[in-house]
Amino acid sequence: MPQSTSQPVASTPADASELAARCEGITKEFGSGQTRVQVLRGVNFSVRLGEMMFLVGPSGCGKTTLISVLAGLLTPNSGSLEVLGKSLNKLRGGRLVDFRAANIGFIFQQFNLLPTLTAAENAAVPLLGQYVSFGRAVKQAGEMLDRLGLQAHKHKYPSQLSGGQQQRVAIARSLVHSPRLVICDEPTASLDAETGQTVMKLLRELAVTPQRAVIVVTHDDRIYKYADRISSMIYGRIIDVTLQGGVASASALAGSPN
Amino acid sequence: MYRIALKMLFGDRAKYIGLVFGVAFSTLLINQQCGIFVGLISRAASVIDDTPEANIWVMDPGVKNLDTIFPLRDTELARVRGVPGVEWAVPYFKAMATVRTQTGELESALLIGADDNSLIGIPARCVLGDPFDLKRPDSVAVAKDAFGKVWRGEEISLGKTLELNDRRAVVVAVVEDLPKFTSSITFYTRYSQALQYTNNGRNQLSFILVKAAAANDPEAVARQIQAQTGLQALTSDQFRKKAIQYVIDNTGIPVSFATVIGLGIIVGVAVVGLMFNLFVLENLKHFAALKAIGIKNRRLLAMVLLQAAVVGLVGYALGLGAAATFFETAGRSPNFRGFYLPWQVAAASALVATFIMLLAALVALRRVLFVDAAIVFRG
Repeated sequence: MPQSTSQPVASTPADASELAARCEGITKEFGSGQTRVQVLRGVNFSVRLGEMMFLVGPSGCGKTTLISVLAGLLTPNSGSLEVLGKSLNKLRGGRLVDFRAANIGFIFQQFNLLPTLTAAENAAVPLLGQYVSFGRAVKQAGEMLDRLGLQAHKHKYPSQLSGGQQQRVAIARSLVHSPRLVICDEPTASLDAETGQTVMKLLRELAVTPQRAVIVVTHDDRIYKYADRISSMIYGRIIDVTLQGGVASASALAGSPN
Repeated sequence: MYRIALKMLFGDRAKYIGLVFGVAFSTLLINQQCGIFVGLISRAASVIDDTPEANIWVMDPGVKNLDTIFPLRDTELARVRGVPGVEWAVPYFKAMATVRTQTGELESALLIGADDNSLIGIPARCVLGDPFDLKRPDSVAVAKDAFGKVWRGEEISLGKTLELNDRRAVVVAVVEDLPKFTSSITFYTRYSQALQYTNNGRNQLSFILVKAAAANDPEAVARQIQAQTGLQALTSDQFRKKAIQYVIDNTGIPVSFATVIGLGIIVGVAVVGLMFNLFVLENLKHFAALKAIGIKNRRLLAMVLLQAAVVGLVGYALGLGAAATFFETAGRSPNFRGFYLPWQVAAASALVATFIMLLAALVALRRVLFVDAAIVFRG
């Protein structure tokens, strides 16, 4: 049976040291004066190491803004934010970038692969960003691509790969530097249903480890079965957290009107 | 990351070629036009450069260049010779003459009359014949390039006859001189023979060529000549600068060349700036993704600067190579002889190429440094 709770919700890990991310009372506004828009309205949210957390909700509810805040790409207006035991509110500039480079992996909706790099070179980018030598980084990325079933495609360019293969390269890129938090933005949105299932299966198998958490923003209710928990957002708030097996409840929320 | 920056650049072949072409075109235009300009205005003083034996030129006080001459009295030669510090002084004649070519066409020619005894004023490099044969009546030496213009299609040879100001002249020597500013055909003869060709009687002394005695400073001797004779006396270097300055001040040549060079720079900045900006703009989402992944701004800055530097370097090298090829190829034509690519121009154009690429990179860098990494989540 699905287990639901209502806002305010902090998902309830037994031990704070198991937390990959925790935010309390996060608000985020854009613009000022009459054009001011409050996108996040006091979000309480947490994700544990070893789990795959889905973030669902209608368009414009603040999912993308929330993951941007979690990744340290946007600064919240208020609230406290802790990722992997570090308070992101206190990290600034180069230290924040270093933290992100070492600890967070990204999978984007549009893959964002560099068209002039091969699959292996694309997957190696996070390592190159950490000053790993080109040869070593590409070799390591190649091994990750092997695990994702892309042995034969390492030296191909993105334009020579299918959508599913490109997303698998993006998964390799997000995992190659062994981050402890992976943030995925609509990973199946650009894929057909079958390829989407394959990609999610691989992501589930490779990304979720006891030392890593995965946050997936999605509209695709066909992949909810891969989640450990599903947090539903509406109007800049998390209004429901469904534990594993709560697919029906989350589907209903994701499809609900604004 | 630098290898990635280069792959980004080389991978977008159309833009890379466009960028390199922009820099190369600018570099070529600047070097080619500057080289021609330098070569052209140097011709304004080539008569002086053809006479390295003399280090002082004496002339009428009103003379500003080598082409507008007011003749001196013959007696001035003796007065100059009497000035202390003068080792020797010889007469020099320079005038325009009309020559009838083999096909009957008339051409304007420069006629130079050198000292009858020493032949100072005749270019030192003789490619055929003996300049001392100029002592024979009606004899002239012809410049090598001029020979082909008077006797088209013929190999250079001696004994050719022609009409010079309606008088017979026989070629006894072929010399190699520097190209002149006003005429492409130059004949050399003795001073007394030149007077006969021009038929103007006495007092036709164009210049007096002077050599300062070894122990004397030519500038001091020139001042002394000026003080004692009331004539204008300039060292070769001073006269050279004055003649060139006259061309710069009194012709549209510098403005014309500066316009083309300016356009070259503007086109370079516009084409390269816009294209580099477009290149960065198209890659902006990739730069944003790199930022999100954790690449610091200073490394993105280095990547963009490397891309700009490579474009600048390759474009400059190609442009400079094309300019050098132009001068090497065109220099074989008599009309382009003496035109060359001064190293100072090549160095200045390197600075211009650097300026163009820096400007393009700075505009593009603003976008890269200030791009919001969160755009990667906005589809």
